[in-house]
Amino acid sequence: MKLKKMLAAVLSCAMAFGMLAGSVSAEEAKKSVVIWDYFETDAQKEMMQTLIDGFNSSQEEYTASHVYVPFADYEKQLTLGIASGELPDLVILDGCGMASFIQLGLFGDISDADINWDEYIPGPLESTMMDGKHYGIPFATNCTALYYNKDMFDEAGIAYPDENTTWDDFREMAKALTKDGVYGFGNAATNTDEGTFQCLQWLYTAGGSYTDIEGGIDAYKLMQEMIEEGSWTKECVNWTQSDVNNNFMAGNLAMQQNGPWQIPGIEANAPDLNYGVTVLPKRDADSGQATSILGGENMGVVNKEDMSGAKAFLQYYDQTDVMVEAMKLYGSYPPKTEAAKDSYWTDDPIQKAFLTQIETSIPRGPSASWPSYSSAIQTGFQEVMTSAKTPEQAAADTQAAVDAVE
Amino acid sequence: MGFLFALPAAIYMLVFIGYPMIQNIILSFKNVDVYTFAQPANQKFVGLQNYIELFVSGNSILTKAIINTLVFTVGSIFFQFIIGFALALLFNKKFPGCSFFRGVTMISWLLPVTVAGLLFKFMFASSGGIINQFLVALHILDKPMDWLLQPKSAMVAIIVANIWIGIPFNMMLLITGLTTIPSDVYESCNLDGANKVQTLFWVTIPMIKPAIMSVLTLGFVYTFKVFDLVWVMTKGGPINSTELVSTYAYRLSFEEFQFSKGAAAANVLFLILLVVGIFYIKLINEEEEIM
Repeated sequence: MKLKKMLAAVLSCAMAFGMLAGSVSAEEAKKSVVIWDYFETDAQKEMMQTLIDGFNSSQEEYTASHVYVPFADYEKQLTLGIASGELPDLVILDGCGMASFIQLGLFGDISDADINWDEYIPGPLESTMMDGKHYGIPFATNCTALYYNKDMFDEAGIAYPDENTTWDDFREMAKALTKDGVYGFGNAATNTDEGTFQCLQWLYTAGGSYTDIEGGIDAYKLMQEMIEEGSWTKECVNWTQSDVNNNFMAGNLAMQQNGPWQIPGIEANAPDLNYGVTVLPKRDADSGQATSILGGENMGVVNKEDMSGAKAFLQYYDQTDVMVEAMKLYGSYPPKTEAAKDSYWTDDPIQKAFLTQIETSIPRGPSASWPSYSSAIQTGFQEVMTSAKTPEQAAADTQAAVDAVE
Repeated sequence: MGFLFALPAAIYMLVFIGYPMIQNIILSFKNVDVYTFAQPANQKFVGLQNYIELFVSGNSILTKAIINTLVFTVGSIFFQFIIGFALALLFNKKFPGCSFFRGVTMISWLLPVTVAGLLFKFMFASSGGIINQFLVALHILDKPMDWLLQPKSAMVAIIVANIWIGIPFNMMLLITGLTTIPSDVYESCNLDGANKVQTLFWVTIPMIKPAIMSVLTLGFVYTFKVFDLVWVMTKGGPINSTELVSTYAYRLSFEEFQFSKGAAAANVLFLILLVVGIFYIKLINEEEEIM
């Protein structure tokens, strides 16, 4: 054990010196701009490289590069970085985590940067701001919608879901499609913010909000009843969004809730899958389109004396055509109202469904205490989904837990 | 002169163990969270407030985590010890291939815990997991069980995984203990007509009592602070049913940014282990006196 620890210490020292040496040699030529991201898929990596190459050849002053940090460790590394000072110049991070890190002092005020602030979609832009100051720009925006397996619907002789589908219709569909190891519907309800991201939508559509759990108790009832009927898979309490998509691709789910970033994976791994996407089911015939939760990343500028390189990168990305090209590779949408109207998206029925859903999407929080809210809220969903509590009991307890968050 | 020799060790202890520990204790009495982290001016001492809130708040997760950790530790050690002891007795006999098989059983100790956690996560999967397929094929279960999805069975699953990891540790320490028993003791047992069971309970176990106590206390300390296995398998879920003090402290600090509360939870863990540690040191000293 001792030897292992010593070895680890020696190795990490060696790595730290290696990094120092690297940054020194880069500084001799041009000023470096280091970006942290957690992008894992080939398409995402290609997008990042294209962006960086484009930025590097567009000007002479800076050289950008990016460092991959695993998503599971991301927030921990940022927190430790604030304490130790080992931080990049730019951070790409989940939009809902930004408020916490602004509060923690990670990001610097860049309100003076030459950015077309008023072109951005308000929800995502708000998540990069605090007290009227800008700390970065939205990088990508998306939301979840309803995927459905057309072949399964055809076989059962049921009409596809669409913008008029209500919760009652949805429940009937899921029930009719559940058979022979196929579940009617599944989503991600794991006990992390990834689960909150997908489950919270149901609460809002039922009339609640992240501070008003009891107002959305109908969502709890729907979940528990559908899971007890077997038409909404109970396995979702341990599923991440990739798990959900894998099961949808494998034909274990007739419908899934998921985001547009799954499309490249479906095209690569299940090219024959005959599927469609529409907005999430609405509460009842009289209510408006269902609410979805905004996802996507922000770029935040790390608070340093010299933030010029990071600002230059943001200004490069602020160009609508750069943003549009990057987002085509990424499988998400540009956070600018006009940029999202590119025919690449509007001509494709699946992409168009997501753009329609984004119109009624709201951000998580924004609140610096979002992680505490998220943890309390997701515990409530898990209590309902595993039938550990009745919807009434779970709503009362979760409401109390949410009220206790400062 | 003697103190000079102890100096390097003392400096090491102060810098790498003493300093972080004291910092952590100070932190746990402050109000550092997401709002005050960047503003040292607003950080102030709040006394025992963090500890009180952790224990008293309506639905105290910490109390639940301590109970979970105890269940996890006692459950793990009970089986690890029995199986480890049985294997130690087996490998203490000389038979062909003995050292090879003893080496093979060490694999679970050599495997990184994260890897073991992932393996068990796949094996316990509700659909397609090998454990369910096995139990259904043998008609022990009628239908696949949701091991990691139900609060009670999730605890069983992480205990099973941890037992598997901990067996070699128990086995090796006990084998070392067994080799210290001189063979003439057993010869005299034979002459006196003691049977196997009597020999085990009246000779073997009392003679390796020091090794047994070491295994149990060290095992308790190692198991009580397990983090990675649980983090990989369940992340403390579902519904906090496998939340241990270690995972809860991590969650508070690095997911919710409640640094002071996280430090307080970590200190509770430390306090419990300190008691066990003092017990262990006392035990060792007593034995040295006897010898």
